[in-house]
Amino acid sequence: MILATFIETHKRYFTAAAGILVLLLLLLWLGPIILEQRPARMIQSTITGLLVGGVYALIALGIVVINKASGVFNFAHGWMMLLGGLVFYTFFSSAGVSLLAAGALALLTVVMALSMAGWRALREPRNLLIGLVTTIVLTILMALPGQEWQYVRALAGAVTGAVLAGLAIERFTIRPLIGQPLFAMVLMTLAVSELLHGVTQLTWGSVELPLQVFAWIGDLGLPQPIRFDVRETLGGIIIIRTELLFAFALALVAFAAFVLFFQFTNVGLSMRGAAEDQRLAQTLGLRVRVMLAVAWAIAALLAMTAGVLQGGATSLSLNMPLLALLAFPAVLLGGLESIGGALVGGLIIGLVQEWANLLFPGTQAGTELAPYVVLMAVLVVRPDGLFGQKRIERI
Amino acid sequence: MSANIRPSGVFDVTYSQDISLNRTRTDKILSNGLFLVLLVIPLLAADGPLGLNIIPQAWIGLIVRIAIFVIAVQGLNILVGYTGQISLGHAAFVAVGAYSAAILARQLGFSFWAALPTAALFTGLVGLLFGLPSLRVKGFYLAMATLAAQFIIPWLIRYPLADLTNGSRPLEVPVPTLGPLSFAHESAFYYIAVPLSVFLMLAARNIIRTRVGRAFISIRDNDLAAELLGINVFAYKLQAFFLSALYAGVAGVLIAFNDNSLSLDKFTLGLSIEFLAMLVIGGAGFSLGPLFGVTFVNVLNQEIIPNRFIPALGGVLPQLLPFIDRINIISALSPLLFGLILVVFLILAPRGLAHHWEIFKIAWKIRPFSH
Repeated sequence: MILATFIETHKRYFTAAAGILVLLLLLLWLGPIILEQRPARMIQSTITGLLVGGVYALIALGIVVINKASGVFNFAHGWMMLLGGLVFYTFFSSAGVSLLAAGALALLTVVMALSMAGWRALREPRNLLIGLVTTIVLTILMALPGQEWQYVRALAGAVTGAVLAGLAIERFTIRPLIGQPLFAMVLMTLAVSELLHGVTQLTWGSVELPLQVFAWIGDLGLPQPIRFDVRETLGGIIIIRTELLFAFALALVAFAAFVLFFQFTNVGLSMRGAAEDQRLAQTLGLRVRVMLAVAWAIAALLAMTAGVLQGGATSLSLNMPLLALLAFPAVLLGGLESIGGALVGGLIIGLVQEWANLLFPGTQAGTELAPYVVLMAVLVVRPDGLFGQKRIERI
Repeated sequence: MSANIRPSGVFDVTYSQDISLNRTRTDKILSNGLFLVLLVIPLLAADGPLGLNIIPQAWIGLIVRIAIFVIAVQGLNILVGYTGQISLGHAAFVAVGAYSAAILARQLGFSFWAALPTAALFTGLVGLLFGLPSLRVKGFYLAMATLAAQFIIPWLIRYPLADLTNGSRPLEVPVPTLGPLSFAHESAFYYIAVPLSVFLMLAARNIIRTRVGRAFISIRDNDLAAELLGINVFAYKLQAFFLSALYAGVAGVLIAFNDNSLSLDKFTLGLSIEFLAMLVIGGAGFSLGPLFGVTFVNVLNQEIIPNRFIPALGGVLPQLLPFIDRINIISALSPLLFGLILVVFLILAPRGLAHHWEIFKIAWKIRPFSH
């Protein structure tokens, strides 16, 4: 009895002691394996891990954005990535797209965007004018012929396609389920991922497509890949793949751009408001429904960016959706509501992966196991993540 | 509940009638008759002892598959439909059952009849292990823990246990025998799978009617309120995980011995999602839900899509949309239609086929009145 009271009152010390014990055991187990490694390999793994983690951070941000806005966990993010990458690929590698196809895509997207809050918006002349101008501009951008315009064409096409996909998913699958239990929402995003699986399979097949967006690196005069010969000091060569480096840099730039968007623009601030408390935001005159649609469009854009960068660093293949599942450990590690947490979580997951591959070679421990072990650890030790909000529940 | 609605003039007159599953004589005749029909079906197929060709032989394999999947989905139903805990890792538990039975049979020489309960119990214990996070987390977080199980368990089977499980390569499983009888043929295996499936369906239905089942439902409906009412939420959640994994284990054992060869590609995240989809299409939280869902999805996937849709659409689609390759249609149509059907069900019939079956039953019983 006295012991029980003692344990209850000093619970936090016991928890801390247990934590330290676990850490010590982990150190005893991993320490010798780590000491066996050459320092060059360790630095190599750290660098590669961080570089890989940049894209994870971008994927995680997309999942966080949707979760913040609508409380939905988007399991279809990986397929949205692949779809965005494949649309980019199609516009990028073809010599030109027919004006009719480009016009249809642009028109569909503009109509979906204008009717976000209801079809009535289409009756206003001002909206119609804006829509018409946007359609024409987008069509021209997408239909630009020739090799020299391929980046513009591909970017316009992929942005339009991603926005259309995001808006359509929100409108036709998520919006009808508002008010339904979490289970229905989770299953709906899984259903959407099956749908997108079918669409990508139908249109592009299951081949692996190399996306050469980083071909211009060769023109810059940079060596490919960058090598540091440190055989004397650290015992090895450190190799940094330039594609990975540029993908990482662009991912960070995109991440920063979206963070600034949420911090300083009107739409971004309203979205944060709507995410905080939907009913309160509605009473203040924010159009919550529009915010939801915009959140999905932005998440689709983020997915497209991540898909293009990942496709450029490796290739576009059916592995990409599995890769996006690895962002879920990153999201939970960083905290479900935290944008900064997405960055930290993504980088940590990348690091953990590469280190696991280094320490346990030949078992796919990094790509298949380590992120999920981290996930379990987070769930047991600190379910709210590093920067997430503590939840208090009432009946 | 709707189950209590009966035509006027039909009353329970004894306690045994009050607690029985079939309360009226019509119910009893119908259910026993259906079971008898199920038992007779293989005798009428081409490979049956009578040599009749009334029922196509392909149906036997399909029914066995449905029976096995019904067990797995009923396990998921206990966890998801009744207790309200989302699981994205059910296929991994099925894999545990399948592989543990195969190892028991190969390494320790267990017969099918000994391997079945042992492997199922072992799977239940593994399920308990992955249910432990439910002490601290719930809802989406718990779904993530089960997602972790879906990746950790196949990894363990593939790499550290490769000596026992053959890793990524297929693993041969011996044929179940009983004395001189061999269950190698699918018509013979039918007589293991179908009665077991019926038995486990009835068992699940009875579990839900007990104190444990009512506790499950109260946790699903409001876990905080359940705790305030004195229900040990964590203990009951663990029981739900155990039962769910037990059912998954039985299904896994049956899959192992039915296919006689195991490989890990069968037990992917895709299968877990398919289980969830079957449950929702059939109706989560209805004891007949798994039967409806599994039958619907399997008949669609095995019969209708390959035999009807693919020949029909294979000619039309490439003409309508010139960028579509004919070769891709076969592999693309299954996920596409599956996703589409799931979306339609989630929006238009979120309670599934079983709910509509209940409505139909009530309408039938109180006919000719509409209410």
